[in-house]
Amino acid sequence: MILDIVIIAPLLAALASIFVRSNTFSLERLTLTGSIVSMIGVFSLIPEVLRAGSYGASDLFSLDALGSVVALVVAIVSVGMALYSIGYMRQEIRKEIIGFRRLRQYYVLFNIFLFAMYAALCATMPILMWIAIEGTTLSTALLVSFYNKPSAMEAAWKYLILNSVGLLFGFIGTLLFTLVHHDPSAFLNWQALRLGAATLDPVIAKIAFACVLIGYGTKVGLAPLHTWKPDVYSKAPTPIAALFSSSLLSVAMLALMRFKGIADISAGPAFSSTLFIFFGMLSLFIAAFLIFSQWNYKRMLAYSSVEHAGIISLGLGFGGIGTFAALLHLIYHALFKPLLFSAVGNAYLTYSSTKIARVRGMIRTLPATTALFFLGVLAATGVPPFGTFLTEWYIFTAGIALHPYLTTLAIMLLAVVFAGLLRHLSAMAFGEVPEGIEPGEHDWRTVAVPSAFALILLAFGLMIPTSLHELLTAAVSSI
Amino acid sequence: MTELPIILAGIAFMTIVLIQIARKSMLVVELFVVQSAAVIALLAWSSRDHVTLTLVATILAIAAVKLFVAPFFLKRLIATHASRFSSNTYLSGPNTLIVLALIIALSSSYLFKPLAVIAPGAQTLLFLSIASLFCALFIVINRQGALSQMIGILSMENSIVMMALAAGLEQSPALQLGITFDLLLWVCVAYIFLSLLYRQFGSLDVTQLRRLKD
Repeated sequence: MILDIVIIAPLLAALASIFVRSNTFSLERLTLTGSIVSMIGVFSLIPEVLRAGSYGASDLFSLDALGSVVALVVAIVSVGMALYSIGYMRQEIRKEIIGFRRLRQYYVLFNIFLFAMYAALCATMPILMWIAIEGTTLSTALLVSFYNKPSAMEAAWKYLILNSVGLLFGFIGTLLFTLVHHDPSAFLNWQALRLGAATLDPVIAKIAFACVLIGYGTKVGLAPLHTWKPDVYSKAPTPIAALFSSSLLSVAMLALMRFKGIADISAGPAFSSTLFIFFGMLSLFIAAFLIFSQWNYKRMLAYSSVEHAGIISLGLGFGGIGTFAALLHLIYHALFKPLLFSAVGNAYLTYSSTKIARVRGMIRTLPATTALFFLGVLAATGVPPFGTFLTEWYIFTAGIALHPYLTTLAIMLLAVVFAGLLRHLSAMAFGEVPEGIEPGEHDWRTVAVPSAFALILLAFGLMIPTSLHELLTAAVSSI
Repeated sequence: MTELPIILAGIAFMTIVLIQIARKSMLVVELFVVQSAAVIALLAWSSRDHVTLTLVATILAIAAVKLFVAPFFLKRLIATHASRFSSNTYLSGPNTLIVLALIIALSSSYLFKPLAVIAPGAQTLLFLSIASLFCALFIVINRQGALSQMIGILSMENSIVMMALAAGLEQSPALQLGITFDLLLWVCVAYIFLSLLYRQFGSLDVTQLRRLKD
């Protein structure tokens, strides 16, 4: 029952929003309420998941430890972004960038996006997960083209085509995995796939996993399947970009982790590990240099997502403590990305440009935002006391024993990312404020939300709650 | 009658090849209709011994979308903006044919031989579907028109259905559910986008989409 509420609450909010007439306040409250209800539901299910191993609402939806980790991420980020959206979108209305109809469209699609993500991460069947993730593509394509500008339309079309092609490969992989069962008419869930994995021909398992990696890897944004990301992140409304980067990436990564567990049983762990390391290194390499030479701060954050997807992939590829660290890194990434996106969203509201060269003197115009941006960059670059330091340390500790040269190269690439992010941050924070720019934060929510993410990150960096540790340990055992 | 599946798959494959070289948008849509009809017939033939309600519903849904809804939308777009549709390809005609030949050769080469384990009893059908899949992907990559890209993706779906049939998955609820859902939503969203793209750019030639760069 509770899980049904978690999934349905955003859908109800979306449906109710359709019927709202000229009342911005109602739209905002509906979205916020839906997100909070889902979050409370997720939190209330964690003890049951820890106790029984999973919480099954029906044959279609259940929550296990691995799903719970991602559900926590989606729940926290969605509430944060629902609140941030209120402040952000009010500014857009004030500036007459959008009107009420567009705002309603935004909140309806925002909630459908959340619904699809919850459905995907709770789906007991791989095909249901695929459908839900395909659903995120279709609902978010309209959010990417939200501003109706030619460049936004172009980004949305590119996103739709690339992700559709990618997900069709994911579909092939999903179908091939169903060959584990001798009765093709059976509805197979994750558990049945794991149980039958040992009987699956290893060649089929390898082909299926490669297809799934292409499919969901496109959604995660692993290089070279990442090309839609910078365009989409720079054109979508900022809260949506934050949801893309933190929540959707985590949901797609969840799909990869689930299939990895099945492929490893059938074909052995070496195959999936090699692929994860290959895509992880490629992602790090491409992201590092494109972050350093970046001219647009939203695209910079897109490449930062590619980089962190690469780090998580490396952790999964290295295995052992690396898997635990990869999962923890996924949580940290999902928490610092909304912080960074909120900060650059505030910068956009003030400077009306996403070009780094046009944002100068942020420390004087947006002092609180700049401080938060700085904290976010530190978290993104793995500086203590943030938990990313520890997760990267563990991932590379696992890697150095197996692949010393690759691990050394990865660490050097992280140094390039560090230099690139700090270079752009200092350029934006200091210097002369351009003429006509009014100083001052926009709304208490646009500062409160990133502040809350910064506090959570600092707290989790210093201490991981026991229940979260238990949840992570249980989740790792199922990968 | 045992050759019928191969003949139907061959028809579907040939239409994908012809779409690559077709110069008129209307012809591209008509070739897609023929291709879809062949795949639907193949699906119906393969599952003739185990007819279920969900399978019939799936076949009807696919037929409705691929034979009527999608062609109707696309033809309406073409009729409205006939002179502005691009049927160009990035590669020239001869080069396109060379690449197609390479794809087909590659699909039946030793590189893809390990895939035979998927369908030990239907290898010809399997390799035809693999060749179709990569040729359809090449439509998405090579053709400059957004409409052709949409048809390329729908052709990829048709190829996946053929591949699933070769693997004996015609009864799979995953196939039925996945294809039905994907089709219904994808066609609607893609149609909305084609209309919006045309409104913004006055063309559906994707080479006009140059505003994004690094």
